[in-house]
Amino acid sequence: MPNIFDFKLVFTQIPKLLSYLPVTLEITVLSMFFGLLLGLILAIVKIKRLPFFTQVVSIFVSFTRGTPILVQLYLTYYGIPIFLRYYNYYNETNYNLNSIPSLFFVLVTFSLNEAAYNSESIRAAIQSIEKGQIEAAHSLGMTFFQVLRRIIIPEAFVVALPTLGNALISLLKGTSLAFVCSVVEITAQGKILAGANYRYFEVYVSLAIIYWVMTIIIEQFIKFVEKKVIIPD
Amino acid sequence: MIEINGLSKKFKKNVVLDNIDLKIEKGDVVAIIGPSGAGKSTFLRCINLLEEADTGTIKIDDLQVDVNKKTKKDLINLRQSTAMVFQQFNLFRRKTALENVMEGLVVVKNIPKNKAEEIALVQLQKVGLAERVHYYPKQLSGGQQQRVAIARALAMSPKILLFDEPTSALDPELVGEVLDTIKATALEGNTMIIVSHEMNFVKKVANRVLFLYNGKIIEDGTPQEVFGNPKNERTKEFISKLAYSIAPEYQI
Repeated sequence: MPNIFDFKLVFTQIPKLLSYLPVTLEITVLSMFFGLLLGLILAIVKIKRLPFFTQVVSIFVSFTRGTPILVQLYLTYYGIPIFLRYYNYYNETNYNLNSIPSLFFVLVTFSLNEAAYNSESIRAAIQSIEKGQIEAAHSLGMTFFQVLRRIIIPEAFVVALPTLGNALISLLKGTSLAFVCSVVEITAQGKILAGANYRYFEVYVSLAIIYWVMTIIIEQFIKFVEKKVIIPD
Repeated sequence: MIEINGLSKKFKKNVVLDNIDLKIEKGDVVAIIGPSGAGKSTFLRCINLLEEADTGTIKIDDLQVDVNKKTKKDLINLRQSTAMVFQQFNLFRRKTALENVMEGLVVVKNIPKNKAEEIALVQLQKVGLAERVHYYPKQLSGGQQQRVAIARALAMSPKILLFDEPTSALDPELVGEVLDTIKATALEGNTMIIVSHEMNFVKKVANRVLFLYNGKIIEDGTPQEVFGNPKNERTKEFISKLAYSIAPEYQI
């Protein structure tokens, strides 16, 4: 039988790919973290209808949702150095453009992208909370931040959990685009491996397996958390 | 002592509260009655600044707050001096009965957790829920939820308790247990304002009844005076319409 599809290779090269899994996970976890944090802030700006900031947030969210993540990656990758060169020129500073690690561009892009999407999920979750609880908290004498931390976030988290879980899964797979900023994560490593042995199909099958397994783990984790936070009748 | 002066509020062009003055002595149980839309709830909500009045001052003991010139500190202080029991209970859904009562003590009053728990347990026992302290609101009946809310308010040891139609959202058979709890609270000497439609209850528990109509207090006196011998025409009409609902005596 001709060796058109190297079945064994699909599995034997998985360890080589997995050695770059930490990079994939690092991008996913950090971007999700900053995306949640910034998303919460954006959501609050929108809910409180802060003048000026609300408009800025709206434009930001609209732009981020309206452009492909690939384009956004290129924009930060080329945009930040250009911005820095102008900054150096006008302020006579001497920031070294090459000292910025590639990973930085990827983290900035994914964090901002996540923030834009999450801000909408978080806003909807917060607005779904029964207003009475918030009034009760205020009537006890709690400040806005105490109410936010003690009442609003725990309650909104439960509502937003399924959507945020979705976002996390998309993000995990989205990190496969990080190679355009010359960050090597599992997909980039796969391309490198295939470049050497021309077994492209095999490597993509391996990658598919890895992403799928990772996603199943995330799904199970979300299910577990959902079960934890539910209050029985 | 609570003193409210010149409290006014408009919703757009609609005058809800019209220059209300009110003085309440310590230990008074004041009931506010009146037709729907008279501004009863709004008045209550303006006292603890959940609703912003347009003008007026609110004085609770030494703390005087002008609603137009209030600082964040005034707001927090005033709310700490008052406690509110809502029509819809408004318990924190993700917290147990015990945690609901502890919340204000720990977060607002900075009382250590174990001490707060002691206070909360005492209060929950008082409202007859010692067996239910670890239940979540949705695992409790409406009457039980409202009693937790009363315990939550009492635990803060406020200078004045505000009840905003505390039994209106309850099944008829659960009203009694909540009214009993409120009565017990009144007998302990707490100063309170109750907005209620339970006229028999008001008659028995309050020592002063206000009739609010179109944003004004048009009748003010003991329950005997207001129910037995109302001076104002509008009050007379209101009381006469109640006649049949007063007839069957409430068992407390």
